[in-house]
Amino acid sequence: MDLAFFIEALVKILVVLGFVLLGVPLIVWMERKVLGHMQDRIGPQRVGPFGLLQTIADGIKLFFKEDLVPAQADKVVFAIAPAISVVTALAAASVIPFGDQFRIFGRDVPLHITDVNIAILFLLGATSMGVYGVVLGGWASNSKYPLLGGLRASAQMISYELAMGVALVPIILMTGSLSLAQIGRAQDHMWFIVPQFVAFTIYVICAVAETNRAPFDLAEAETELVAGFHTEFSSMRFALYYLSEYANMMVVSAVAITCFLGAWHGPVLPGPVWFLIKLSLFLFFYVWLRATFPRLRYDQLMAFGWKVLLPVALVNLAVTAVVLVLKG
Amino acid sequence: MLEPLLFAMFSGVAIGCALGVVFHKNSVHCALLLVGVLLSLAGIFILLHAQFVAALQVIVYAGAIMVLFLFVVMLLNVKGEVPLLTPGAAKGFGFFFALLILVELLWTVLSPGGQEGAPSEAVGLPRDFGSPAALGRLLYTTWLYPFEITSILLLVAVVGAVVLAKRKFF
Repeated sequence: MDLAFFIEALVKILVVLGFVLLGVPLIVWMERKVLGHMQDRIGPQRVGPFGLLQTIADGIKLFFKEDLVPAQADKVVFAIAPAISVVTALAAASVIPFGDQFRIFGRDVPLHITDVNIAILFLLGATSMGVYGVVLGGWASNSKYPLLGGLRASAQMISYELAMGVALVPIILMTGSLSLAQIGRAQDHMWFIVPQFVAFTIYVICAVAETNRAPFDLAEAETELVAGFHTEFSSMRFALYYLSEYANMMVVSAVAITCFLGAWHGPVLPGPVWFLIKLSLFLFFYVWLRATFPRLRYDQLMAFGWKVLLPVALVNLAVTAVVLVLKG
Repeated sequence: MLEPLLFAMFSGVAIGCALGVVFHKNSVHCALLLVGVLLSLAGIFILLHAQFVAALQVIVYAGAIMVLFLFVVMLLNVKGEVPLLTPGAAKGFGFFFALLILVELLWTVLSPGGQEGAPSEAVGLPRDFGSPAALGRLLYTTWLYPFEITSILLLVAVVGAVVLAKRKFF
């Protein structure tokens, strides 16, 4: 482990971390602006040009708010639950490749923090650990609505994680690798969305459910559960949940791009630029979904996950395997 | 140099959390500490070059099974659990099984055959050792029958669970 390796890793970690932490306020701004225009409003516009600094101002406001802890709350778990959410979201970002490797100072620098040969499994593991942040936050508040929100979230995330994992298996079969960099490289000529459109659809639906976003935001359905699992959270603890939600959105979008939408491949422009463009479009799509669909009912959500998505994903997997074997 | 340090860290956390699981009163805290044990075990698996097993450990045990555990504990909201055995009998059984495991471990470590299986340092492992491909190949060749029998066992369990849950429809 030489010094150059150490510096390279450090720089990449800082770049990814900075990208996620600075990207979140931008996404929140984009969401409010786009939602505003889709609902015939103009969205934030007072703070900074085009209201760009609105989210920063909100963040500063949250920072100075009183940090409330319910008297009957489980203090320790109440403190670590938001942290679990953020840590798992950031850990997942570490295996995502945002470009092909390039040469600088005579070193081959791959554009991802680390490329373990089980990257996809690492991602699924990190997202499955992310459930704890939500569930424990709901439980530790020791209050009815958060508990119900937390329970809903846990059942929902476990159910949709399953279909999400199965939807990614055909990609692994086609590339013969669990490494995201390899999967990205394999889409040099054709994006996997073409042969695997079914898997892509399933993955996108599951990704929305997995991040607890509308129309699958049952865990924080305000008409039934106040604010769901984070009802009792205020100040920076609430901000951490907010941060993790958007960081998770970035991660699942990045995985969708890497596995289905040709990763960093694209004409003329360099890889990381293409990656950014695709990421922005995908996040826009997320906001679009939220503006378009009403929230599902809880039993509809569970039935859809188990009786539609999972069987379709399994059939798709079987068909892919058979076709791959027949092609040799 | 790094490896013994990491091993000490992971095993220390695992043992500490395991003690917490046993001695903590609050069942949700116990479940959380158990998650800590499982995660540090995953770390130890990685040190042993078994990345695939480590990932499965995190996804299946820490990510799925323990969430369901928590789910049940939270849903039932167990305050003071009803003891199955009297405290004295429970302690007796506990010590008996602990002793059994200790004897078993000592037997394995001290018997002459036991040390052959555990090389003292990393001997030339095959390059793809612990990779999903290598593991899959082993599962579908050398260990095919145990693998398939385990699958059938799990299938039986799944069908059984469905039958039990849907009993009112029959």
